[in-house]
Amino acid sequence: MQPEAVELVALALAALVLVLAFAPVGASRRALLAKGGAGVAGTAAVVAAPAFDIALLVMLALALLHAAIEGRRSFAARLRLPVLAVALLALAAVFARVEGPDVLHRFAAVGFAAGLAAALGLLPYIHTFEPEEQVTSSPVAWLGFVGPAVATVVVADAQGLLTADAGAVFSAVLLGLGLLNMAWGSIATWLTENDAAAWRYSFIADWGLVLSGFGITLADGQRASLIVLFAIVLGRLPLYITSRNAVRDKVKTERPINLLVAAALAGSAPFAGFSARVLLLRGATQLYWPLALVLAAGMLLWLPGSLRLGRSLGVPRGRQAVAVAIVLAISVAVGLYPLPLLTVARM
Amino acid sequence: MQPEAVELVALALAALVLVLAFAPVGASRRALLAKGGAGVAGTAAVVAAPAFDIALLVMLALALLHAAIEGRRSFAARLRLPALAVGGLVAATGRLVAGPPGWAILPAGSTPRLVLCIAGGLVALWVGLGVTSGDGASLRFGVISTIGFGAARVLSSHDQSVVLSALALISLAVGAAVGLAAPGSGVVPYVAAAVIAAGSAWIPIKAPSAA
Repeated sequence: MQPEAVELVALALAALVLVLAFAPVGASRRALLAKGGAGVAGTAAVVAAPAFDIALLVMLALALLHAAIEGRRSFAARLRLPVLAVALLALAAVFARVEGPDVLHRFAAVGFAAGLAAALGLLPYIHTFEPEEQVTSSPVAWLGFVGPAVATVVVADAQGLLTADAGAVFSAVLLGLGLLNMAWGSIATWLTENDAAAWRYSFIADWGLVLSGFGITLADGQRASLIVLFAIVLGRLPLYITSRNAVRDKVKTERPINLLVAAALAGSAPFAGFSARVLLLRGATQLYWPLALVLAAGMLLWLPGSLRLGRSLGVPRGRQAVAVAIVLAISVAVGLYPLPLLTVARM
Repeated sequence: MQPEAVELVALALAALVLVLAFAPVGASRRALLAKGGAGVAGTAAVVAAPAFDIALLVMLALALLHAAIEGRRSFAARLRLPALAVGGLVAATGRLVAGPPGWAILPAGSTPRLVLCIAGGLVALWVGLGVTSGDGASLRFGVISTIGFGAARVLSSHDQSVVLSALALISLAVGAAVGLAAPGSGVVPYVAAAVIAAGSAWIPIKAPSAA
């Protein structure tokens, strides 16, 4: 089992506990526990699978169960892309394993990257989105809850199956997809009309950073990816859930708490996103310095979108305020001292 | 009961009697009678099953019993393909009783899809036999073509029954692909693939809630 994947399952569990403890008024804790618990169990099963094929089958079962939850989107709309993802990943695994010309292994590398994007709902395979849909049945469940551990497993298994040459192609495709998702996600967060959709695009932008980190095969890139994944699971996801009522009521406020949340979402110092960005830029500089320039320019795009998302949180009160305070405190702690997070993942 | 199936069971019984009467020297007639008798009884139970689902369950039990007999191949190796077959049959039954009513095989407008299927099959055959090398060419062809067609179908339709059919096919193909990676692997991936394929046909689906 990948230690970082195990850590991400533990983080998903922590996020579930946090959400259950500070669930918005009107949310059914029992339903949340059942659906979230099933999600954590499924993710753990993907991580614990002894072989890649079994992990794919677990992903398929998870997708089937997720699509069967009551929601605003149709069953087929929710199932199509995860099924396509498993198909792409399975084909990639077949091409990576068979004896044949090098070009076949390069196809495998592209298949792994495309399958990963389809599973998570990233460009060019964005899942359909309904702003009013519950988080448990929406694409955000893949982006912010199940996806981080699943992506870690897929990337690690793909790197294990691919040859050195095909591994380089895989990294290059991940980098390309990362830059594309960073740019598209952050600009869409800023400019899209609906606030719920803006939150969804902000997850996609964060995933752009993660894919870029995976693509930078140096240790700093991997570390940056893990910290961004942490920021997604225990930062952006709980904040998104907290913002749901305010987004529905179209409440916008500009209090200090909104600016703090915006800073955390934008990856400003001293929050966790900042250390991830520093590591990512350092890794990119070591690999190919113009890449660091492109990444730095892309990171600036987070600012307007994050300010918008911070305002959309409204003024959290009661339990919600406690939840936001806990999330910000954890983010600051990891931002200032990320070593424990990295040590557990043996990075 | 199908009369031709009953007749075939009777023929199998006759073959068993013949083999018992003229068994080679050294063969244990008692073991032959027990195993052959169980086989005939199981086959008769499949024929006599009042519903297709029950026939599938009997087939599964028969496969389990057959895999448990002492032999050169391991228990897992003998159970893999029956597991996939039962999963596929259950999924196919589920698809038969659900989905749009009426005859849906090759409806009007299927010609382009049929031509693409033939072309796709030829490409998969070329990749499985010509481009790649090593053992298991037929398995490679089967897996590549099934996954490829499943993925193409998922992309080309928003229909629930189509997506579920593709899911069942892809699940079975992923299970079968384990044979390419680790030919001596256990039966778990095959059973898991069969369960997912079979479960996909029967999972309760809720209609989308109103906006």
